[in-house]
This record gives sequence, C-alpha cells and structure tokens, in this order.
Amino acid sequence: MENVMTFLPGILAGLQMTLGVFFITIIGSVPLGILASLAMKSPYFTIRWLVNGYIWIMRGTPLLLQLIFIYYGLAMVGVSFTRFEAAAFAFIINYAAYLAEIFRGGLQSIPQGQFDAAKVLGLSKGQTFFKVILPQVVKIVVPSFGNEVVNLVKDTSLIYVIGLGDILRAGSIAAARDVTLVPYLIVGVLYLIMTAVVTITLRASEKHLNVWR
Amino acid sequence: MISKKKKITVNTIVALVFFALIAWAVVILLKPSNGNVQAKEDQWSEIKEKKSITIGLDDTFVPMGFRDSAGKIVGFDVDLAEKVFSNLGIKVNWQPIDWSMKETELNTGNIDALWNGYTKTPERAKQVAFSTTYHRSQLALVVKKSSGVKHFSDMQGKVLGVQTGSSGETALNSQPSVLKKYIAGQKAVGYDTFDKAFTDLNANRLTGLLVDEDYARYYIKQQANPNDYGIMTGGFAVSDDVVAFRKGDNGLRRAVDRELAKLEKSGYVHELELRWFGQSSQNLT
Repeated sequence: MENVMTFLPGILAGLQMTLGVFFITIIGSVPLGILASLAMKSPYFTIRWLVNGYIWIMRGTPLLLQLIFIYYGLAMVGVSFTRFEAAAFAFIINYAAYLAEIFRGGLQSIPQGQFDAAKVLGLSKGQTFFKVILPQVVKIVVPSFGNEVVNLVKDTSLIYVIGLGDILRAGSIAAARDVTLVPYLIVGVLYLIMTAVVTITLRASEKHLNVWR
Repeated sequence: MISKKKKITVNTIVALVFFALIAWAVVILLKPSNGNVQAKEDQWSEIKEKKSITIGLDDTFVPMGFRDSAGKIVGFDVDLAEKVFSNLGIKVNWQPIDWSMKETELNTGNIDALWNGYTKTPERAKQVAFSTTYHRSQLALVVKKSSGVKHFSDMQGKVLGVQTGSSGETALNSQPSVLKKYIAGQKAVGYDTFDKAFTDLNANRLTGLLVDEDYARYYIKQQANPNDYGIMTGGFAVSDDVVAFRKGDNGLRRAVDRELAKLEKSGYVHELELRWFGQSSQNLT
C-alpha cells in the first residue's frame, strides 16, 4: 500500500495534463463540430466539398500521425506551436470531425415539416435553429456524443509522441524506474474513474433533457 | 430559395479562396524552410546570452535520465549535464521527448542537445554532431541463475529478449556469430521498454535478455533477490555514449567537450559512474 503512495505524486501530475487536454478539446471541438455539421448541409457545393474533405482527412488518418504532422511537420515550414498548443489544436480539429458527423445525424432526424412549420409561424432562421431544432438535436445526440467523450479520455494518452507527460506516460516512468506493474494498475483505475464520471454526467444530463418530451 | 446567380458567385469565391490557400501552402513548402535555416546557424552566442539551454531526454530512461518518485528529473546523464552547464554558467531546462522523435526535435530547434545515453552510430553521424565520448558501456546478457546459462553458447535454442530499436538489437543482428546463431529461431523477442522484458524474464517466458550493462545492473538492484540473476558480457563491440548537437552548433559542442575533458580529469565522471552504476565504465582512451 505504501507502494501506491510513492507512485501517486508523479501520476497525479500526469493526470493534470490529461484533464487539461480533455477539457480544452471538449470546449473547442463542440462548437467547431456544430459549425461543420451545418456547413455539410450548406446550399453551396464548394462548402460541402471542403467540409467533407476535412472530415475525410481527420477521420481517415490516425490521430497519432496528425499530432506528429502538426507539431513536427508544421515546425519545418516555420509554423511553430508550443507542445500543448499543438496537442490542443490536433485534438480539437480531429474530434470536431467526428462530432460533426454525429450532429449531422441529429440534424437529419428532425423532419422537414418542423422547418416548414417554423417558417409559417414567422420564426427567423436563428430562432428556428436555437429554439426549435437545437434542443431536439442535443437530446438525440447525447448517447453517441458520450461514446466520443469516453474515447477522448483514453485518446489523450497519444500526446506522449510530442513529449507531453500524460497519466499513462507518468505510469510508464514509474514502471521503468521501480520495475513493477503497480503504476499501470493505478493508471487503469484512474481511467476508469474518469470514464465513470463522464458516463454519470451524461446520464444525468440525458434525464434532465427528458423534460422536453 | 437562393438564386442561381448567388450560388455561382459564392461557389466561385469559396473555390478561389481554397485554391489561393493551396497555392500559398505549396509556396511555403517549396521555399527553403525557416526551421532548418535557423538550425544551421551557430546558436552558442544566443544560449550564452539567455543563460539557459534546453536538453531533450526520454524521462523513462533509467538510470541515465528519469523521474524519481517526487517527479524530479534525475540520473547519471542529468547530474553530468547539470555540472557541465553550471560550470559554464548556463541553466538546463530538461524537455521530455518521445525517443523515436529525438533527431527531429533537435533539428527543428525544439531542443538544443540530446543527452540521454545516446550512442554513437554511423547513421546518426549523418544527422547530428557528437561530443567526445563521456561514458562507455557494453551489452550484457541477463539470465536467471536457475536457468543454468553461463556462456552465450548455453542459449542454444532458448528465447532471448531485446528492446526494439535499441543498440542491443542492432548489435545482435550485425554480429550474428556472437549470440544470434544460438537463440531459438535465430530471432529475438522485441519489447518497447526494458521493464516489460524483465517481467517476462521473471515469468520464465524468456531465458535471456540482451541489454546495456548499466541498465542491467540498475534493474537487478531493484529486484527482491538480486542474487538470483547472472550477467554475462564480452563478444559485442563497446558502445560510446555521446551528447548530440545540431551540426551547425560548433561553439556549443566545443564548450561542452572542454568541460567534459576537465570533469574526466578531475575524477568527477568516475565518481558519478560509481554512484549510478555501482562501477566505473570501460577505460576511456
């Protein structure tokens, strides 16, 4: 048990980095994902093509590769991010692409009749979107959104490749130093706690959203 | 509904902006890159002025550079580098990096030097400049005494583990007559870190492990019963540990070489070797 205590300080320092990347990604990728999902329904084919191209690239290549390109690749052509900025940027544009597809699914499940009805009632485009469509879409996408958020918790471990010390790396350091698997066990438990918190939060918000029905 | 005219206008504008961006990106890519131009210049005067240098290390790399349980970066290389740069009046910032990206980190200018059990090889000489050798180490075969293996030839048909991408793996393949010809299937099992290989050795899934002697001694010391393990050396070429710099950084390299020579002479390096490895390295010539 005193074993566990010696590993905790290092691992908790890693936890800070993991949570930092996690929250900044959620905050950045949700609005970007909504924008991209709306752009996919744009009447202008060029905008649709661009957004589809962006989603294809983001979903079609490993996130690890994207991190390497954004941090090391862009530095070669003179665009230099700090390590954390590069991680935040890569995660936001990657997760926004996945979220865009989820939000698109939500948008498409709203029948055209509701748009028509809103128009007949004289609602503006903004009112229609924020007051009528968005509340319903949010409710529909919560379960699949939750999937992505849980994935994100675990994907943050990829930032080791640009030299950032997340919780898994902190575990590896302790494991290499003291030649034991205990740090990995602690890391596993902490991941479970994080995903449990995410799951419970989303379940609770789902219940709260049920008020609309 | 949106008029056809408006659609054409917006589509044209978006397309033009898109192609302009692509053209701009191509121009930037074709231009000799900023990062490399900067890297070719000698940064020494800038480092002296800032009084700080950024050194890259893999912070899982015991006992050369790693984190203690309080999270502080410690190790043989860390002590030596701190001493060298404190003599020069420069503060060291340790930057953890992914080891597979080490030369990229150096050449993009994210770090100014690599100091972490970095071994001299002809391939690496093409990409970076080396300091003088400050430590020599050799490869060791680690076994459990209960396996009865006492010579390399006792590994006949037995399973051997190595760290993937390590100097041990390279040496095993480049000098097949030393050990490779004996082992099961003439192929070693690869691990990403040495501690995992050690776990397998303890679980008897491996008979032997080929690693750097310094690491071997460190790990054995960490085990509950250090006397259960045997170490065999000899046969493989000795590897030279050096500091890596960008090719253009001659001022920095010369300053570090001078300080290393002084510390070698004063016996400080030897003292550190005793502290971290429990024994001195091969004689430096």
